[in-house]
Amino acid sequence: MKIPESILKQVEKPGRYTGGEWGEVIKDPESVDVRFAFCFPDTYEIGMSNLGIRILYNILNEREDVWCERGYAPWADMEEKLREHNLPLCSIESGTPLSEFDFVGFSLQYELCYTNMLNMLDLGGIELESAKRANDAPIVVCGGPCTYNSEPFADFADICLIGEGEDELPELMDIYKKHKAMGFDRAAFLREVSHHQSMYVPSLYDVEYNEDGTIKSFTPKFPNVPAKVQKRIVKDMDKAPFPKNLVMPFIQTVQDRIVLEVYRGCIRGCRFCQAGMVYRPVREKTPEVLNEQAKILADATGYSEISLSSLSISDYSCIEKLTDELLSWTDDRKISLNLPSLRVDSFTKELMDKISTIRTGGITFAPEAGTQRLRDVINKNVEKADLLRACRVAFEGGKTQVKLYFMQGLPTETDEDLEGINELAESVIDEFYATPGRPKKSPQVTLSTACFIPKPFTPFQWEAQCDLEELQRKQKYLMGKVMNRKIKYNYHDAKVSRIEAIFARGDRKLCRVLLEAAKRGIRLDGWEEFFDYDKWMEVFADLGIDPAFYANREFGEEEILPWDNIDIGVTKAFLLRERHKAYEEKTTPNCRLQCSGCGANKLGGERSCCPKA
Amino acid sequence: MLPESVNAVKTDIKVRVKFSKTGSLKFISHLDLNRTMQSAFLRSKLPVWYSEGFNPHPRVAFTPPLSVGVSSLTEFMDFKMVEEVEPETIVERLNASFPAGLRASLCYAPKAHFRDIKWSLYEIKFELSGKAPENIEEKTKAALSADEIFIEKYSKKGEPKVVNIAQGIRFCSSSLDGNVFTVNVKLSCDEMAFVNPKYIAEVLEKAMPECFAGAENEVCRMEVYLADGETLFS
Repeated sequence: MKIPESILKQVEKPGRYTGGEWGEVIKDPESVDVRFAFCFPDTYEIGMSNLGIRILYNILNEREDVWCERGYAPWADMEEKLREHNLPLCSIESGTPLSEFDFVGFSLQYELCYTNMLNMLDLGGIELESAKRANDAPIVVCGGPCTYNSEPFADFADICLIGEGEDELPELMDIYKKHKAMGFDRAAFLREVSHHQSMYVPSLYDVEYNEDGTIKSFTPKFPNVPAKVQKRIVKDMDKAPFPKNLVMPFIQTVQDRIVLEVYRGCIRGCRFCQAGMVYRPVREKTPEVLNEQAKILADATGYSEISLSSLSISDYSCIEKLTDELLSWTDDRKISLNLPSLRVDSFTKELMDKISTIRTGGITFAPEAGTQRLRDVINKNVEKADLLRACRVAFEGGKTQVKLYFMQGLPTETDEDLEGINELAESVIDEFYATPGRPKKSPQVTLSTACFIPKPFTPFQWEAQCDLEELQRKQKYLMGKVMNRKIKYNYHDAKVSRIEAIFARGDRKLCRVLLEAAKRGIRLDGWEEFFDYDKWMEVFADLGIDPAFYANREFGEEEILPWDNIDIGVTKAFLLRERHKAYEEKTTPNCRLQCSGCGANKLGGERSCCPKA
Repeated sequence: MLPESVNAVKTDIKVRVKFSKTGSLKFISHLDLNRTMQSAFLRSKLPVWYSEGFNPHPRVAFTPPLSVGVSSLTEFMDFKMVEEVEPETIVERLNASFPAGLRASLCYAPKAHFRDIKWSLYEIKFELSGKAPENIEEKTKAALSADEIFIEKYSKKGEPKVVNIAQGIRFCSSSLDGNVFTVNVKLSCDEMAFVNPKYIAEVLEKAMPECFAGAENEVCRMEVYLADGETLFS
């Protein structure tokens, strides 16, 4: 049942809900064994930009026995209409209520979307708590980076898929089909699922707590349920399935271009960065395969821009060859190249020329910290001279705008480090005027700062986030230092960062908080107009749960961490070693220069730079 | 001397395509329709002319925009090509690249200008919310043919303004089938006297609230005409 037109006429951007896009997959529901609703717990524009979902949508739909459809969080106006008319949240393709699917999958990309997931389950007519779901209710399966610590939503997910889903999801479909044929028994199905690598079934574990609220023990309920769940990776990225067709949204989305995934992982090892750890080991695709895939996607989609995606594109070992090959045909096809996530130390004139032939505008770098001392603490391995050199290249190439990303509230940060952010910006302005052949316009440096959030599976996972007042003081302090009118300073809302920090390192006790938050109508937290910090604090206060226990407490090195049951390859010993090196202000060379023994090589992987395990 | 680009030499192959916009496409705004066309062009690999510069894009002109929620059987778009291609091939390749809901039917070299389009014929189908009066057709004709038809419009600042839109409405026909009431009406799409089809529902609701209050309706543009309101635009 599609949403009635009378409702579509009354909401903003009805194109979010109608479907019918180029590339959408329609099947006969009678012809498939498994129906899968792939949900993104945020709006259509954000969800449609996610590469992971696009990959998995294709993998599932390439199977004749599965129909994968899409679902998104409705905007507030649509939610109001659905509730007013007592209509369930439905899939985009066929308009089927979520409750009628075999699987409802959620891709969890950031902590702030947890409440959206609950709201979507509620709107879809599905019990929020997995324990309350009937035998024939949909299986709720969660994936995405947030599942590396699934504990805050453990009560709501039947299954969490840890790691990369390309092989995992089809395997899960096969297990399901087998059980469906035998007469489906939910408990038996979940038990079998738990025996497969990377498939974590939270309900099969008991957690006990110490008096101080930390975890005392984490034990499987049955002997053959694994105590540790190991993440899954795609070993050979060249052979990984890639979407040969993309659904082309009618309305503008965040990532409105071909996203060509060049490699997974990162050789760097910045100590605050979760992606840099959980996606290890590095696995590259070859330029030949990438060029071929880019052509197929350009034909199939009609996008006029290709974005080379990775955690740090200039670290790709064949970047020259790849960009040359792409540029040999993209110009003729009126397709522009876009290279996000450039590092200052590998940003060259050659690279710059390749992107500037098509696009003007600014350039973005992420020094992350204002002083060399603090950059060493976080292992950024970038020097001021690198930044200035990169900026000079940009200015010579006609750019006048530089955007610099920083983090505030990093471990050991002092006011001197904050001042360093402004000084760095001043130096960039000076560099502009010292560049012969600079553009005639006046330069602009935009400083954009985020608050440090300690994330699971990083060397800084034990660190406390500064309390809210201190985070806000730091922002004011830097604001007071920025005097130059050519420097603009933007910062993230510290309150949002605190909520993220709470859930990033949360345990199962937070499930109650999410449930209560959902009951009180908290959702769309990623949107300024809906985020309500005070409402969140009321929930914590009313339930007697201290948010500072999660956000602002230094976790003990001996403590059992909520995510210790997950094995990402990288060892806790390595993370600890890195933490200690941070305090000694010692850097660790990147993976290509020297193996630092993180442990991820045990997972294997082609075209990585790891020694064989 | 710089070689002249291929584009610069032949930019005069103008093409007009007639197409329909139905189904979920009716909820797609004019701006998004434009984006959808650009990607369809790239998929079709037709030798479409692109503008020069940092952000090359085809220049496409469309018939007057439809309101969101309105479908159409008669839309036109003009663009330029750098090579001659058989009209049938253009239609075929566009259709192979269009999402369901867009359908090209004709292609030819344009003659009339889009700015000469002054009238649109709409079919408005109402699902009546109550029992229709015996003389619903007469009453409809009377309501839509009056000399003075006042509606409240809102200025960009949000201030209400009462306007007489009678000059911009030409009633054509109506028919009742069960509780579905269909009105065919020509509305002005002249920039100065544009009448949004939603006003027809307002006018009829005022005249016969017993069956039009809260009635769902579907609007479809059927044809577009020149200033006399009789000569079809092509």
